[in-house]
Order: sequence, then structure tokens, then C-alpha cells
Amino acid sequence: MSPGRVRLLFILLLVGQLFLIAAQEPDRGGAGSLLEGAALRSLGPFARAVDASSQGLQSAREGLRRRDDLAAENRRMRQELLELRRRELRMEGLEQEIEGLSKTLTFQRRHSTELRIAEVVYADYSSWLRSLVLYVGTGAARRNQPVLSDDGLVGRVIRISGAYAKVQLLTDRAASAGVQLQRSRRQGVVRGSSPGELLLDFIPRQADVEVGETVLTAGIDGVYPRGIRVGVVASVEPGSEVFHRIVVKPAVDFSRLSFVYLLEGELVPPELLSEGESAVP
Amino acid sequence: MRFLKFVAALAAAALLHFAGARLLPNFSLAVDLFLLVVALEARHGNPVAGMFAGLAAGLLADGLSGGPFGLYGFADTAVGFGIARAAQQLVVQRTSSLAGVFAAGAAAQQAILAALALVFRDHAELPDPLWLLVKVATTAFLGVAWTASANAVASRLKFRRANRATKIQLPG
Repeated sequence: MSPGRVRLLFILLLVGQLFLIAAQEPDRGGAGSLLEGAALRSLGPFARAVDASSQGLQSAREGLRRRDDLAAENRRMRQELLELRRRELRMEGLEQEIEGLSKTLTFQRRHSTELRIAEVVYADYSSWLRSLVLYVGTGAARRNQPVLSDDGLVGRVIRISGAYAKVQLLTDRAASAGVQLQRSRRQGVVRGSSPGELLLDFIPRQADVEVGETVLTAGIDGVYPRGIRVGVVASVEPGSEVFHRIVVKPAVDFSRLSFVYLLEGELVPPELLSEGESAVP
Repeated sequence: MRFLKFVAALAAAALLHFAGARLLPNFSLAVDLFLLVVALEARHGNPVAGMFAGLAAGLLADGLSGGPFGLYGFADTAVGFGIARAAQQLVVQRTSSLAGVFAAGAAAQQAILAALALVFRDHAELPDPLWLLVKVATTAFLGVAWTASANAVASRLKFRRANRATKIQLPG
């Protein structure tokens, strides 16, 4: 191939890719999604194989090392299980009480507490283009599906390809969520910042915010339901003339995720969204 | 054959990337094995092979990244083409020049990614300068180490083949 043609091919490839990137925003559909899905599908099994073998090695090593502790741990876990069952019974009672009160007030509560487990096969929480790849199995995930861990909110599904799903972490710079401060009940928007922290915007200066206060989802963004733990206030500084500058420490330690939960159920019924509109924070 | 070698190298890079990310939390900040495969392919001096290697490896890396799809594809295509062009015009046999080519490739990739992120991403975050230096250094080191060991293996094989041929010829 002549040098001129090679140069032309090079320019065409670059221009084509620029169009590919530009076409994804704000709607990640089309050719980019197809190629992205293909890349995710082809890399997913590799990630899963590495994950499975490393977990196997780890559990074998753990098993050998902690054989003596297993009996004690088993006893402790049985006690914990009993305690959890007691709590569950109490919660059921409360749930029935709330149901009864809701009926009295003719308020229909939305049930979206069904959780589905998913395996984390690849996590890159440290680089500047953070991501998490999940193996969701046969039951497909859906776009914008909230992802939780035992400790709190992880993020939302942004891409599904076969049995794999890519998650936008809450700490991603492009991520945000509507939140509420548990004590003062003030609502704001939390967004990703540097690795390991979040920024809470739009809390007015006159609001009394304490360090250590819990931050929960507010259920106002159309993606995350109300009441999921997001983190705790790490620092409060006078920001602009109107709002505080609040740094939030995420509740989830992203470096220790091996399983997460996908929250089932649509938060906003599709019929309420106008055509082309999506509930993206 | 060369294409199969490239595909095998990409598969090996993917496996090592996943294993590295599991063992070391900052692995993806410090090393880009996909870029290393592109640089190793492009240093042979074929710009077409270099750019297509960059395209394939970059799009695979995009499949894992959290940014818009195509950022790594664009950057690695440009780097693959650039390294191949450099290899055509410069003598990249010496260790220092080879390290320079790999390091420049990694630095160029990060610069292109940062520029694209600024254009296409809201609240774009730029790579940490310290980790950028680490990535440049590891790419140069791994590239030189791989090339040196591949050359050593190739020359040993060549010597063995020549030695065997001599032995076969001697009795005659």
C-alpha cells in the first residue's frame, strides 16, 4: 500500500472513531454499543476464568490456614443467624404495620426490594475511567438498574452484553444521585470526585450538617429508590456563598467487592416517561 | 501466523490484566498491557499493521473502561501508527532508543486519552501525573525486557539450528 493511502486509511480510522465516540453521548446506543457489547462479551469469559481460579486458590489457602477457626466461626454465625431471624420477624411486624397505615391513608407503597445476586468479575476502581464488570448469569440485567452491596449503594448498570453487565460506579466523575441527609432531612445531589470520595452539592449554607451524618438516597432521581445508604459526611466547609462544600465518604469499600446485588423492579413506570426520555441521573 | 501471534498476545494480555487487577488494586493505573502489545506489534515498522493492532487492542480495552467507548481505540490506533512510522525512520535496535519509543507511546496514549476525555466527558478527570510517569516507565521497561528476552530466545534457536545443520553436514 502506498504511503498516501496508508495516511488516508489512518485518518479515516481516526475520524470514524471520533464519530463513534461522539454518537454515544448522551444516548449510548448504536454502533458504539454493538462494538462495546462485543468487546465486553469477548473479554468477560477471560475475566470470569481469572476470577474463578483466583477465588479457588484463595479459598483453598484460607481453608488450610483457618481450619481450626471454622468451628468457632460456625457457632458465631449460627448465633448471628438466630439474631437476624429475630430481627426479620420484628421487621415483618413493622412492615405489616406500615402496610396497614398505608391502606388507611390510601397510599400505595411501591415494592422494589427484590434483590438478585451478581458476581464481580472485573473491578477497576482506581483508574480515572473507573468501571466494574459483573457476571449476571441467565437473568438479564437492565440499563440503569441500581447495584448495591451489603454496605450500601455501588452504582448503576450502564451496559449489558449477554451474561455480562458494566456498572458505572458512584465514584465515577460522570455519576450522580439524589440524596438526603438522614438527620437534617436536607436533599442534595451527590457526585463522584477523586477516588474514594464523593461531593454533596446543593445543601444550603444555613443547613446544619454534622460530620459523621449518614447520607441516604432520596428517591428523587428516577434511578435509585429512597433509603439506600450512600455514605457518611467526612467534612463540611463553606463552599460558595449559597451552598456548603460537603465531602462524603462512600459506605462501600469498592476494593473489596466480590458479589453485589441488582435491585429488581422499575423505579419509574415506563408509561410515565415521555418518548425518548430516560431516567438517568 | 503473525496475526495468530497477535491474537494470542492480546488474549495473554487480557488474562494478565485481569490477574493483575485482582492482585494489585492500582494495576491498571501502572500498566497497560494492551498498549504494550500494540507497541510490540508496531515496532516492526508496518504502519497498517500498527494502526489495526492499535484499533483492535484499544477497542478491547474500551470494553473494560468506564469512559465512552472508543477513547482507547482512538488513542491506541494513533500510537500504533506513530510507533510504526517512528520504527521506519529511526534505528530502534539499541535499548535506549527502544525504551524511548515505548515510553513515548505510553505518554502519547495518556495525552490523547486526556484530550478526548476533556472533549467528550462531563467533569473529566485527568490522569494523576505520578501514575502517568509510572505507566510510562513500566511500559518502557516491560517493552525492552520482552524484546530482549524474545531476541535472546530467537538467537538461541538460530544457534541451535545452525549447530544441528553443521553436525549433519560434518559426517558427509
